[in-house]
Amino acid sequence: MALASAPNERAFAARRERDWSTLEGIVRIAEQRGPKRLRPADVHALPSLYRDVCGDLSRAQAARYSAPLIDYLQGLTAQSHTVLYGAHAAGPSAEARADAPSWATAFPVAVRRHWRAMALATLLFFVPFFLGLMAALAEPHFAFRVVPEAMLRPLTESYQQGFAAGRASADDTLMTGFYVNNNVGIALRCFALGIFGGLGSAVTLVQNGLFTGAVLGYVGSQGAGLNIVTFIVGHGTFELGAIVLAGGAGLAMGWSVVSPGERTRLASLQSVARDVVVIVAGAAVMLFIAALIEGFWSSSSVPTPVKLVVGGVNFALVLAYLALAGRGARGRRGGRAA
Amino acid sequence: MPNAAPLETDVAIETPEHIVFRYRVAGPARRGLAHLLDLLICYSALAVLGAIVLLAASAGGVLGADPESLAHAGAGVLLVALFFVQWVYFVVAESVWGRSPGKAALGVRVVTAEGRPIGFAHAALRNLLRAADSLPVGYALGVAFMAGTRRFQRLGDLVAGTLVVHTSDHARAEPIRLWPPARPDELAALPERVGLDPEERAAIELFLRRRGRLGALREAELARMVAPALGRRFDYRHPDPARMLALLYDRAVNAGREEAPPSSRGASPGAAWR
Repeated sequence: MALASAPNERAFAARRERDWSTLEGIVRIAEQRGPKRLRPADVHALPSLYRDVCGDLSRAQAARYSAPLIDYLQGLTAQSHTVLYGAHAAGPSAEARADAPSWATAFPVAVRRHWRAMALATLLFFVPFFLGLMAALAEPHFAFRVVPEAMLRPLTESYQQGFAAGRASADDTLMTGFYVNNNVGIALRCFALGIFGGLGSAVTLVQNGLFTGAVLGYVGSQGAGLNIVTFIVGHGTFELGAIVLAGGAGLAMGWSVVSPGERTRLASLQSVARDVVVIVAGAAVMLFIAALIEGFWSSSSVPTPVKLVVGGVNFALVLAYLALAGRGARGRRGGRAA
Repeated sequence: MPNAAPLETDVAIETPEHIVFRYRVAGPARRGLAHLLDLLICYSALAVLGAIVLLAASAGGVLGADPESLAHAGAGVLLVALFFVQWVYFVVAESVWGRSPGKAALGVRVVTAEGRPIGFAHAALRNLLRAADSLPVGYALGVAFMAGTRRFQRLGDLVAGTLVVHTSDHARAEPIRLWPPARPDELAALPERVGLDPEERAAIELFLRRRGRLGALREAELARMVAPALGRRFDYRHPDPARMLALLYDRAVNAGREEAPPSSRGASPGAAWR
């Protein structure tokens, strides 16, 4: 029987405590200063010390030593497990990493894999957008139902002035900060709220589509249409595209709960969320680009035709990137379109 | 006592070495405090940045620049900082260190459901989903989900497949020693085998560890609640009930065990008592 052959707790602890404190010291350094700061000798000693402590823990459990000793060994095992199997080691295997597309191609690949969700998100944004645009062009007062009048009037005045004068660079910084905070926040929230069966994303998309359309329509109805189009065209692809993509990712995540297929709802949710998080990251990067363009280029005094051409080129580039990047290197990978 | 009866809030993790250890899952109160601390850190930093911007703007104004445009530029910087506080701080801290500073201060960390440290995708997902967890106000939904799941997971944890656990940094406790050692007359009456089930052992152990911190009367009172029942079971009597518990515990835990073989430190540590 195990009990009869095991040493008593005091003898066991006295015998092993030197190794335990060595391991404790190594783990403390790794936790506080990072595993890269360990001395070579410590790195060398760590795996075997860890295995010994694992053995000590199971022996202590089998011999039913007192709870504090077992708690201590559990804690030490857990801490060294964290150091040994840390985030740097927890990633995909080298083989999987070689297979996985790089960040730059993972984003468009994931977008294409979830093309149905993306198409739905596009409809959910642009149908209200055109409805709002048409309604506000036909009847400017409609816009006030969607956007507060106090916000629309000064906005319209500023567009009526045009950009010939440019804008002070300090104001560019202010507006860039505002766009980063506001627009990236909207896109990220648009994704997150998709967890509720996609409803949160859908509502956010419709809301923002209607809002943007109404603003555009109202400003157009007041005779500053060309100005606002000139303003928007440079960054619009990035900004509106990113919100649509983030919303599409949210729809895909929501749909994975509603219709999990052969998996449990939780398993389906986790795998789809893992799959679309790269889309959200890509959308965030697009919004940063949009904020920079919007703050420093769209408001500048560059002549209108140049802005229109650059806007068109941006649109073509983004579309080509999403449609083509990463194609051919690998076919469709495992995932399921949502 | 994790080794006796696993608490509901424990999760067992099996390592590749087939060793099972347990994490204690952190509850809403501790996590709430950690979050408050993080908010405090973030917004204090933001306030300091705001003060610097304000000072820089007024200093610039003194030197002849347009104070209003400086203030605008500063406000732009502040808005970017606000974005970082709201969306980036947690993702970066948790993907690099596995915990935000607030969590570190309260002794909790984020691990995957398999007990491994988290990576960027985990950190990004669980923190993006804060937008859903914090609905309608003050993380009400997140707390509701934590109450409804066995491992205290809010929505973000469920989506990312993560847990928030206590970092176990138990100080090492000395094993309990029978002191003074058993006298011959005490040993004579003590039964050869004392069979205690794990819960009884744990209870007596807890009592013996706290003995020194209890008053003498309280100690005797507690011991008298248990000792007579055990005495009847093992047919053993002792004038001092606390001493009797110590004797029974010592016999139950150490009977039949060897003392360690003479120390031979350094030479194949684990192998000595296979």
